[in-house]
Amino acid sequence: MEIIFSLLPVLIFLICLYLLDSFKLVSSKMLIICLVWGVVAALISYYTNTWLSKQFSLDYSVFSKYVAPLNEEFVKAVFIIYLISRQKIGFSVDAAIYGFAAGAGFALAENIVYLIRLMNEPEIVIWIIRGFGTAMMHGGCTAIFSMLLIGGVQREKPLALAFFPSLAAAYLLHSGFNHFFLNPYLQTVLIFVILPVVFTIVFQKSNSVLQDWLEIEFSNEVELLRMIKQGSFTSTKAGDYLISLKKHFDAEMILDLYCYISLYLELSIKAKRNLMLKENGFAVIEEPDIMEKLNELQQLRKQIGKLGELAMQPLVRMKHRELWKLNQLRN
Amino acid sequence: MNVQITNSENYTIIKVQGRIDTITATDFEAKVMTTLEQSKKLVINCSELDYISSSGLRVFLLTQKKINAAGGTLKLCCLQPTIKEIFDISGFSTIFSIYSDQESATNP
Repeated sequence: MEIIFSLLPVLIFLICLYLLDSFKLVSSKMLIICLVWGVVAALISYYTNTWLSKQFSLDYSVFSKYVAPLNEEFVKAVFIIYLISRQKIGFSVDAAIYGFAAGAGFALAENIVYLIRLMNEPEIVIWIIRGFGTAMMHGGCTAIFSMLLIGGVQREKPLALAFFPSLAAAYLLHSGFNHFFLNPYLQTVLIFVILPVVFTIVFQKSNSVLQDWLEIEFSNEVELLRMIKQGSFTSTKAGDYLISLKKHFDAEMILDLYCYISLYLELSIKAKRNLMLKENGFAVIEEPDIMEKLNELQQLRKQIGKLGELAMQPLVRMKHRELWKLNQLRN
Repeated sequence: MNVQITNSENYTIIKVQGRIDTITATDFEAKVMTTLEQSKKLVINCSELDYISSSGLRVFLLTQKKINAAGGTLKLCCLQPTIKEIFDISGFSTIFSIYSDQESATNP
């Protein structure tokens, strides 16, 4: 019974979040890696907490309220920062799920240690509080960190700048939980009620952002690629713009820019098509030359350089979400 | 966007006119889903479809998904060249059964 109450709620909640991901942004493989990272993070935190408590010689209560939450939230966040910096996370939905998974892994490891240590603890209520309260808090804090971080990155803040307020929010929530300002039972009930509401709101908002993003860009990109394929690109505003760049770049560079925009549009449309297919439960269309094309785009991106990318910004903005979208084709 | 529903011997034909975009996609989806409750063999005649956005394509995909689950058939026919190009460029041509005219689409 202890195992059921202390380990299952957070796992069931994670599975529910995964199933609610209507566009299937989350890969099950990465989800498991996040969960495993959470377990590793718990081990790292155990040793760093022990080391820190010896260094500062703080009272346990003070340590658990102020130092441990910062250390734990930081360690859990490391893998999420890696995923965002590698454009593996694109929207609040996948950020929340991966974040919650890392927190859930942490909580699972922590609760297993408690189960071993307090095996003879007769009070079932302790396990209910640990499983429904502490474990959900761990998942929730890392999920909130991830959502805030991806939100900052999407608003084009540098990762480092977006990181500190996101970590501060997760830390304050975790520290607040450890303060037990409220009765532990009430705190547990509140977490179990508030967290699903927060996730529902975030998922709805994120899905609406994703749909708008698909809607606006998809039609324009298909239209532009259609013109390119018909050889009518120069009669479009985008074509006019590219021609105007002749004053600043040599012919070879203009050709690279033309190939870059053409290839980018093709890959972008395919990535979005796959998102739509996944949303409706269809298998994505496998194309043998997709990796070749992605590598070609990467090569063209290098060739046009920062200056070329800057010049192409009115037509192609290679920001976080665009890179994430292309990354989806690699999966 | 306007939708006309008629029945042939084997299929229910949905003739769509105008644009299927963000604004009209919900209405189009509702009409297709209502038709789907009555018939699992649908032909969507796109001869007067002028524009389709991703919202429209998603309704087509949703319809295909529901029809697959119900063991029915969905066919698209009479796509204007610009609309056909959208399907070709985006790769959706391989997902749907597309026919050049209504007669061949309604053949069992």
